[in-house]
Amino acid sequence: MSAIIVDNVSKKFRIPHEKKTTVFQNIIGLIKRQFNYEDLWALKNVSFEVNKGEALGIIGRNGSGKSTLLKILARVLYPDSGSVSLDGKVASFLELGVGFQPELTARENVYIYSSILGVSRRQVDKAYDDIFDFAELKKFENMKLKNFSSGMYLRLAFATAINATPDTLLIDEVFAVGDEAFKKKCRDKMNQFKAEGKTIIFVSHNLKTVQELCQRTMLLDTGRIVTMGDTERVINTYLAML
Amino acid sequence: MWQYRELIRNLTVADLKNRYQNTSLGFLWSLLSPLLLAGVLYFFFRHLFGREENFAINLLVGIMAWRFFANGTSSSLYAIVSNSSLVTKVYVPRQILVLTTTLANIISSLLEFIILLPIIFALLGYLPITVLLLPLIHFVYFWFIFGAGLLLSSLYVYFRDLNQIWNVLVSILFFCTPIFYPISIVPAYLLPYYQLNPVTQFIGMYRDVMVAGDLPSWFSVVVVLGFAIAAYLVGSFVFNKLQRRFAEEI
Repeated sequence: MSAIIVDNVSKKFRIPHEKKTTVFQNIIGLIKRQFNYEDLWALKNVSFEVNKGEALGIIGRNGSGKSTLLKILARVLYPDSGSVSLDGKVASFLELGVGFQPELTARENVYIYSSILGVSRRQVDKAYDDIFDFAELKKFENMKLKNFSSGMYLRLAFATAINATPDTLLIDEVFAVGDEAFKKKCRDKMNQFKAEGKTIIFVSHNLKTVQELCQRTMLLDTGRIVTMGDTERVINTYLAML
Repeated sequence: MWQYRELIRNLTVADLKNRYQNTSLGFLWSLLSPLLLAGVLYFFFRHLFGREENFAINLLVGIMAWRFFANGTSSSLYAIVSNSSLVTKVYVPRQILVLTTTLANIISSLLEFIILLPIIFALLGYLPITVLLLPLIHFVYFWFIFGAGLLLSSLYVYFRDLNQIWNVLVSILFFCTPIFYPISIVPAYLLPYYQLNPVTQFIGMYRDVMVAGDLPSWFSVVVVLGFAIAAYLVGSFVFNKLQRRFAEEI
């Protein structure tokens, strides 16, 4: 059964020669009749399916369209043509700690971030101690976030995020930050998610992690799928391409 | 929207906390500025209009009603751009960002109006029963400002000098609205345009129900409802069109 169906998706970015961001510039542009821009196809006719419970890796060079594809799956960007369908509850981790407010306490931020990820208040209440134990921040629950170190910030965000119980996870590189201990925690948690039968889309430059986590991988280049299939074979194709 | 109620609640509360908790007097500070403005305007204009009935109270009511419009629209203008990570990194319906800003503003405004009631009682000696209509007017005002906020916040993503333009327009509108002068001094040939200013109508309604003890005229009700519905429809339409490219433009 397919959890994710991507059908013939294309995405075009307009790159203006001169970016007009104010009313004033637009009026000048109208008078001078400058409407020059170039089309950049970030994705071109991309189609694929992901089965329920599968972990799919996406690799490719910078600018190959990986993040664009993930953002379209996350419904942050709209495709210019084609369609996308995702089953069940989707949690996107394009960045950890989205919506964190520096002026509020760790405790308040856990509730805000959870509600952004679609976790109900009651669920957070129940998991509250686990979240702070996992983040090792129990002592700091009433501290304002602006006084957190970046490591503490990251641990709090991660502990809150994994408490969300989505069916599908969209992950972009976010777990590559932090120290070794943090990375290990992330890897363990991802393997646990996989064992629990969650569908995972994983974008990364770290080929080793991709190999460890994903059975299938997609190689993107200039917005098109070069090849897709068994992870080891795709990684070899990618390495040969470089 | 119902499934996002907790998010809406959390973001609204966060907005209010950010606004008030870092000042020692909190909410009281935000009362100080309208009261000062009212004091200054009263001081300068009492010689001109001091003989008007209830000049001081009407001035206060006018300023409080004006503040909801001025603060509501100016802060929701930034709702999308200043919450960029909620637009570019995760999916939440983006109207929510404008909605929560407007909600935080209506809550502030309601508190200000509640503070106003004992002041009116003290100055007037009684409170008209029509004051009970206040929540209803506020509700319509809310939709008007929410609609304007949708329009402004989505346009601001594309036109980054809109905040400057809007500031100027709001200042001009302040003088074109009978806040610190009675509408009776407006020349007859300008009066029709004055009556079509929705903020004038809102302020008039607040004065009717809070001070004069009258029911708002049918004309005011029609203008106000018309503007609220139009602002919401136009705002939603433009917002929905423009929001598709928000993540690219921010």
